[in-house]
Amino acid sequence: MKSWLLGAACAALILVAGCGSDPDGSGGSAGDGLEIVVIPKGTTHEFWKSIHAGAKKAERELNAAGQPVKIIWKGPLKEDDRDEQIKVVENFIGREVDGMVLAPLDENALVRPVETAGKAKIPVVIIDSGLQSDKYASFVATDNYVGGRMGGEHLGELLGGKGNVLMLRYAVGSASTTKREEGFLDAIKEKYPDIKVLSSDQYAGATRDLAYTASQNLLSRYGNELNGVFCPNESVTVSMTKAIRDLGKAGGNVKIVGFDTSVQSLRDLEAGDVQGLVVQNPIRMGYLGVKTLASHISGAKVEKRIDTGVAMVTKENMSEPEIQELLNPPLEEYLGEGN
Amino acid sequence: MNLAQLGSRDFLKAVRPFVGLFMVLLLFAMDAELRSLFFKGGNFKTILTQTVIVAIGAMGMTLVIVSGGIDLSAGSLVALCSVVTAKLIEHGHGLAAVLALTVLVGGLAGLANGGIIAAFRMMPFIVTLGMMGIARGISKWLADNQTVNPEVPLESVNSLMDKSQSPLTFFPLPDGVWLALGLAVVMTVVLRSSVFGRYVFAIGSNEDTARLCGIRVNANKIAIYALAGAFFGLAGVMQFSRLTQGDPSVAIGLELQIIAAVVIGGASLSGGAGSIPGSVIGAFMMACLANGSSIKDWPNYMQEIIIGVVIILAVGMDKVEPMLQRFIRRGK
Repeated sequence: MKSWLLGAACAALILVAGCGSDPDGSGGSAGDGLEIVVIPKGTTHEFWKSIHAGAKKAERELNAAGQPVKIIWKGPLKEDDRDEQIKVVENFIGREVDGMVLAPLDENALVRPVETAGKAKIPVVIIDSGLQSDKYASFVATDNYVGGRMGGEHLGELLGGKGNVLMLRYAVGSASTTKREEGFLDAIKEKYPDIKVLSSDQYAGATRDLAYTASQNLLSRYGNELNGVFCPNESVTVSMTKAIRDLGKAGGNVKIVGFDTSVQSLRDLEAGDVQGLVVQNPIRMGYLGVKTLASHISGAKVEKRIDTGVAMVTKENMSEPEIQELLNPPLEEYLGEGN
Repeated sequence: MNLAQLGSRDFLKAVRPFVGLFMVLLLFAMDAELRSLFFKGGNFKTILTQTVIVAIGAMGMTLVIVSGGIDLSAGSLVALCSVVTAKLIEHGHGLAAVLALTVLVGGLAGLANGGIIAAFRMMPFIVTLGMMGIARGISKWLADNQTVNPEVPLESVNSLMDKSQSPLTFFPLPDGVWLALGLAVVMTVVLRSSVFGRYVFAIGSNEDTARLCGIRVNANKIAIYALAGAFFGLAGVMQFSRLTQGDPSVAIGLELQIIAAVVIGGASLSGGAGSIPGSVIGAFMMACLANGSSIKDWPNYMQEIIIGVVIILAVGMDKVEPMLQRFIRRGK
């Protein structure tokens, strides 16, 4: 008897909590439209919020075009926890959604869940990072090799086709940055044969601190003859810039081209210490992920690999509206003030 | 001291986890959208599969908590053993050897826990907190700071938690689910009816009395922690099977989920109370809540709050019931 009373109290509480948290008032029945779940790697970083905004943008467009779609945004309960992400995929297979857009946390661990979705006739579009399987409808992501090439060409142009450069790699086993590094080296080799690559076999490691130490080590050896540097990700860019500033060669003495943005690297770009940043387009990734899935579900043939493009941001073009949209994505427009 | 009566509390306490689970299911059934989404064979298979790791861990943890201790190294040991499983598969071992050796590694870590606790009369909280760091560190070292993906996968281990063949029907259940159910039956009998099980309750109820009664408290404590470690080792094999890789950073905070399952299942952190079926139901109930709020599309923060509230409610019933009883009596 008493247990029942308490149970009822508990039930009421959960109900109230559930109802109170309905964001769009769409919690009722699913309706006739497509139900698409978008599963990021985490939910708090700005990168994923931009993906969310892109998915919302696609939802709005599809609804306006008379193809009703409901987007469910569901990240793993713990950020970057593979098992939690597998649970989310499994739960939505159980819900029998019409399709999934997934940014896999691991190229191996998520293979089986994605294949399980295939067995349940739920198509999956992979975004952001690759998967060691071909059981998906499409892979919508930045072409990191092209991004690396863009960085190489920009640096070659800055140096006028001659001089000494070096590249500090990110971390062993990181697929996306390895592609960028390959792209950079190929671009230099093919287009600027007079540029000499002093070093391209050193790894920075996963944290800014490690990257800073590795940068200092490289600079103490090559600092005097160096004209340009390529950094394949955000942490390496920031740390290398700091190390070059310590050396007194910042401000264009040594040209730096980096990848991705952060508050610090944009500040360095504005100050003239960094001459270019290759920037990805997460809004477009979320947008194209949903759009591709929707057209796959409606029976159209979609490309197995879709590139979401990169842009070169420099001090000169950073105030242009298109670049501004990349640097300060209009999240409020799609996600509301709550996000 | 009557060994047979220890731990057998009144009927109401024994059925409480079941009542709690029933309330959760009832709650989901009341919601029109969830009713159609949640109560499906395929979804229950998913929930059962997601329960396996916590449930197997909870069996070991129940022994420890009933004996008045705690084991905070559970999550790290699961991660360590998932890496050990991956390494053993890389070395070409078969299913039986992988299972036996991984469980042995877990058991040895547990033996170290129990040995230190018994020999130096140290607090289990501190010793296992230390082991939590040690095991996490060793697993990262062993795995060279990255995930371990065996070049040639061992299908028999991978299929333990595989339900990809028929995702939308309840049967066939993965082998891991059957293994967990079988172990739950065995451990229920062990804890309720074996001499060892009675000793566990006796030590948890009052260690000094147990010692005076002639129970070899230290030897039993070592056995309890070693057995718990073996269960965490088995949970580690299951964790490997879910990820199909050894991941040194997996299962962070899993020990707290396991402890919550055991406590929801009616165990007392001061020892002397708890049951295997209760703990397993506790684990299942938490998986149901997580699954339900996930497919219902409640935001993640709401899910975390709800599970927190349920843990406090489940344990708080102990205290609130007598108060309510008094209140109702006064009202009359």
